[in-house]
Amino acid sequence: MYYVAKVNSEMCSTHNCNMCTLYCPEANTLMYDKDPKHGNKNGTSWVDEDRCKGCAICVYVCSDLLNRDCIEMAMVTTE
Amino acid sequence: MSLRYMVPASKFKRYLPKDYVELVDYGPFGKDYSEVGVKNMGTFKELVEEHPMCSGCWMAYYIKIIFAALPNPENTVTIGTAGCGRLAISQAAVPFIYGNYGDQNAMASGITRAFRLRFPDIKKDVITIAGDGGMMDIGFSMTMHAWFRREKFTTIMLDNEVYGNTGGQESGMSIEGAVLKMSPKGKNFGKMPAMQLAITAGCVYVVKMSPTNINKSAKAIRRAIFAARNLGPTFIHVYTSCNIEYSIPTPDVFKDAKEMEKGRFAFEEFMTPEAKELFAVVESKKKREVS
Repeated sequence: MYYVAKVNSEMCSTHNCNMCTLYCPEANTLMYDKDPKHGNKNGTSWVDEDRCKGCAICVYVCSDLLNRDCIEMAMVTTE
Repeated sequence: MSLRYMVPASKFKRYLPKDYVELVDYGPFGKDYSEVGVKNMGTFKELVEEHPMCSGCWMAYYIKIIFAALPNPENTVTIGTAGCGRLAISQAAVPFIYGNYGDQNAMASGITRAFRLRFPDIKKDVITIAGDGGMMDIGFSMTMHAWFRREKFTTIMLDNEVYGNTGGQESGMSIEGAVLKMSPKGKNFGKMPAMQLAITAGCVYVVKMSPTNINKSAKAIRRAIFAARNLGPTFIHVYTSCNIEYSIPTPDVFKDAKEMEKGRFAFEEFMTPEAKELFAVVESKKKREVS
């Protein structure tokens, strides 16, 4: 059971923003896909869940600093 | 010692580890900084691989910035010493040398000189990256003497104000009165003035900062490397909190770094007139192709 970040890509792609990827302390973990998604002009951030250590700094950046609430922390289980 | 050594034969590629192939195909080697610089992190394969540093570690974050900001990663060597930082630095696709207990700056002196003799036509960057203990306590004499000798390499001190790797002893960089797990009475003397020491010892470019602005952090790292190539020793003193020893909840690590920026880690930059001239030239050229 792991605590990892999950990006709501529909909400994320409405913003032209990759701030969370710039502040993730883990390398190659919170990535950004530049291709437009969900009919929006922008791409979306996505999380490599195997690498995420669950610090929630991305949630602080997205929700507390930017008020966008596109990322939440979630439990991942093996089942 | 060349990028060509990294590129696998096409028929052999399918048998190589996926991470290695991805690094060659999508990594920053040989690419323009505008494509793979810090602004584009998340869109290319970064040089640092998975490492065992703690969740939410701001030191791991700054190490990630260092590697993303390198002007010439294929011709860079990093040197570290005992401490948390080397756990991540050694996991990067840049040659890493382990200096035993604080002798990273002494080793860097020799390596820099050897590179200049062996590769006179290539700019090789040497960067020492160590914690406050390795740089200002255990390795203090070697750090200072490398600066006094005007050795041309970059020194980066990851200051978490504690010996985080060994259970929380006070370091020379802990603040006065700091109560830590292994110094329960509180520290009796103040924080060492590392920036002033570096300026006095002859560093041509010195920065003290808390990494809250990624572009500002990358600019300082790149300036330090360019100045070290051409002029003399450079020093970056950066706040990288230890969220374990100072009990900072991981979601608040960035907030803590911002608070530090308003306090004792307010951005300070020192440069000699020669360094200032150099930066004016360098920053007017293409970002990556700078010699």
